[in-house]
Amino acid sequence: MVADHAGRAGPAVQREQGLEALTGADYEARGVSKSFANVTVLHDVTVHFHRGEIHSVIGENGAGKSTLLRILAGMFPATQGELVLNGKTLPALSPRDAQRHGIYLVPQEPRLMPDLSVAENLYLGALPRRWFGAVAWRRMIGTTEELITSVGLRADPRLPAGRLSLAQQQLLECARALSHGCGTIFFDEPTSPLTARDAERLFELMWQMRDQGLTLGFISHRLDEIEAVSDRITVLRDGYVVSRAERGTYTRENLVTAMIGRTLTISRRSRRTAEPGAVMLDVDELVAPPEVSGMSVRVRAGEVVGLAGLVGSGRTEFAEALFGIHRPASGTVTVNGRNITGASPRKCIDAGLIYLAEDRGRNGIFADVDIARNATSAIVGQLPRAAGSLIRPRKEQEIAREAALEMNVRASSVAAAMKTLSGGNQQKALLARWMLAKPLVAIFDEPTRGVDIGAKESIYATIESLAASGLAALVISSELEELVRICNRVYSVYEGRVTGELAGEAVTLEALGQLAVGA
Amino acid sequence: MMTTARNVRAASSAWRELYMPPRWAMLLRRREILVTAAIVIVVAASTAAHPYFWSSGNLAFIFADSVVITFLALGESFVMIGRGIDLSVGAIMGLSAIVVGFRIQNDGVTLLPAVLLGAAVGIVFGVGNAVLVGLVRLPPIIATLGTLSVYSGLEFVVTNGNQVDTIPSSITNLGSDTVVPGVPVILLLTLPFVLVSAWVLRYTAFGRSVYAVGDDAEAAYRAGIGVRRVQFLTYVISGLFAGLGGVAFLIYTSGASSTTGSNDNLTAIAAAIIGGTALTGGVGGAFGALVGSVFLTVTLTAMSFAHVSDVWQPAGVGVLVLLAVVYDSRSRAGRTRRGTKRRRGAR
Repeated sequence: MVADHAGRAGPAVQREQGLEALTGADYEARGVSKSFANVTVLHDVTVHFHRGEIHSVIGENGAGKSTLLRILAGMFPATQGELVLNGKTLPALSPRDAQRHGIYLVPQEPRLMPDLSVAENLYLGALPRRWFGAVAWRRMIGTTEELITSVGLRADPRLPAGRLSLAQQQLLECARALSHGCGTIFFDEPTSPLTARDAERLFELMWQMRDQGLTLGFISHRLDEIEAVSDRITVLRDGYVVSRAERGTYTRENLVTAMIGRTLTISRRSRRTAEPGAVMLDVDELVAPPEVSGMSVRVRAGEVVGLAGLVGSGRTEFAEALFGIHRPASGTVTVNGRNITGASPRKCIDAGLIYLAEDRGRNGIFADVDIARNATSAIVGQLPRAAGSLIRPRKEQEIAREAALEMNVRASSVAAAMKTLSGGNQQKALLARWMLAKPLVAIFDEPTRGVDIGAKESIYATIESLAASGLAALVISSELEELVRICNRVYSVYEGRVTGELAGEAVTLEALGQLAVGA
Repeated sequence: MMTTARNVRAASSAWRELYMPPRWAMLLRRREILVTAAIVIVVAASTAAHPYFWSSGNLAFIFADSVVITFLALGESFVMIGRGIDLSVGAIMGLSAIVVGFRIQNDGVTLLPAVLLGAAVGIVFGVGNAVLVGLVRLPPIIATLGTLSVYSGLEFVVTNGNQVDTIPSSITNLGSDTVVPGVPVILLLTLPFVLVSAWVLRYTAFGRSVYAVGDDAEAAYRAGIGVRRVQFLTYVISGLFAGLGGVAFLIYTSGASSTTGSNDNLTAIAAAIIGGTALTGGVGGAFGALVGSVFLTVTLTAMSFAHVSDVWQPAGVGVLVLLAVVYDSRSRAGRTRRGTKRRRGAR
């Protein structure tokens, strides 16, 4: 096909050679917008990736970084705008087309075939062939050895890829880009599953690639990495390009300010009069490998405490370890004086701890089931019974309706299927479920994700009024404004550890922003 | 940066060079070898109890008896490695046996045309499955459960109350004659198909893409593999082998009726699983199909030698399959690293 676009020779030649034979492209996203359903996640974004440069795109969660990279790599089409490669506008791209043009996206988590060999993973989709479609095994193993060595991976090409460590799989992904003759390589948060030392190795490889004249795009949350690696930086916020910088023309404060944005004002910082009561949730040095490496958290009755941290910092895994979804390796969890370390979700609920999960669609709702049974699902054992054993549907519906009304769920009736509700109302129905369990301690994981502004306010109000009536609430959120808005106290989490604590007036966007990126 | 316990542990292992274990160690871990060893043990034990077990007559019978299932399991292996399943192989085999059998019986068709006809019948019904799974995108288990009923029903339509019972001895002799004592001709006719399948699966680009699709269809698609085309072809191949199995059935049993093959659907899957082909896709091979079906036949024969009533046979097959599956999940859990396989279900 259009093989010369990326300035490379024929694919057959290219695949046999390593790093030296490749050059990157001059690649630009021009005025790119992207909407999913009715939500626009990218607004008129223009980013130019130059040959021989590492260009980082940074921004908070949901700023649109990954979306941009996926559009650039042909994973999905832009709603508006164009992709310009070496001065020519590209037509609609598929991942395969993008690779033919020399563009490759190294995903956040390497996606390899665990049962296939390293060599096959490297050449997947383009296995070198001999007669009758037979795979040229010996040649493939030889070139694999060369290619993976050039990215610093030492492994037998015949080894099943599932035996590689995550870092090694990451390197294999890089080698895969090279094996497909791709000189324009994007990295979607490649370091988030890696240890510091492995990340360092990856950077060395990236520098080597850059010096060879490849075009590299990079996403990361970690500002220290960004500063070390980038020749050029573009900052995205809420889908807009808000800042651009070249090496040496920015400070870390500039970047943080650009990322979290000063323009946002907190609608209302909540004021609570009641003094917090006894410690209801006491977590001591909880360790749940690999994500949680020793976190201590305390929440008192009537308090709203936040956990601030980036996706992948171990916040959700921490909550799941409390709630018995993952077994903690060490540490203790105490609810109202009762030790529930490693207890099952059922036991946690009985002890008074509930967990409103992060991913509503997957871990929360029963989509096809009616609202009433969604609401009562955590307390099925306590529903009123007829003849000592049969659940009474009428009573169940009444209980559910009362709870739904209390939480302000807008629905035609509690007999409607859960999936007919909007995201915000689903979330409120889930709140109703958990409040029926009469918790002492509640963990709200991203309580307002995918929820519109109006519903957000009503969820905040609910959490506040529950706290006012004595609930100990732990709120996990990537939206710092949200934490500033409702929390009395905030812990910051970075790489599985609590790295700081702010209380009262000290809870500000600036302070949280600094803590959350490990600064 | 903090040096957590996790960091220290990972750093010590992550950059270690990874070598393959020595060849003999890999070989010993292969399922085919394990099952072969199990066959040897069962044969040895049965021979110790009943010397007749090790007679050329009995061995030839066991091998000939396993040929039909070998064919079915071969085709099933392609489908299962690609993370599909074909519940209709027995019915396709039966249809092929009936159609070919009537031609032999009524028109005096000779062996070679009979084999070609059987292959053609198999391909036609295989394409039926392939269209439903590859083009209509039905879940394989639903699609082939449907075609199982359709094809079994067609067996009654085609036989129309008759049955195949007069196959000339020039053909049936292949099932009873032996090349050397203990090795029937029909086994030798089967081996080339096993070898070709093994070659296709192991050494061709198509074969490797079957494994890739079974391992992770999404990733295979992103790598530029025509996932639907690969899946389509596996069902056609499964049909082809079932069609050939039908001819083998005629040779071996010298007859066919409207219920031919009705017990063989699950037995074929069982043989593939015992031979090391995973229901979860991405793992398996052609030799596994061969040793799996021989193992089943040997074990069932040993059971009747031990005076276990025939009514226990289906239960015995079931237990063997369960053992194989449990063994699979145990050994895979130890082998696959965190996240790689598990993640697939999540997104």
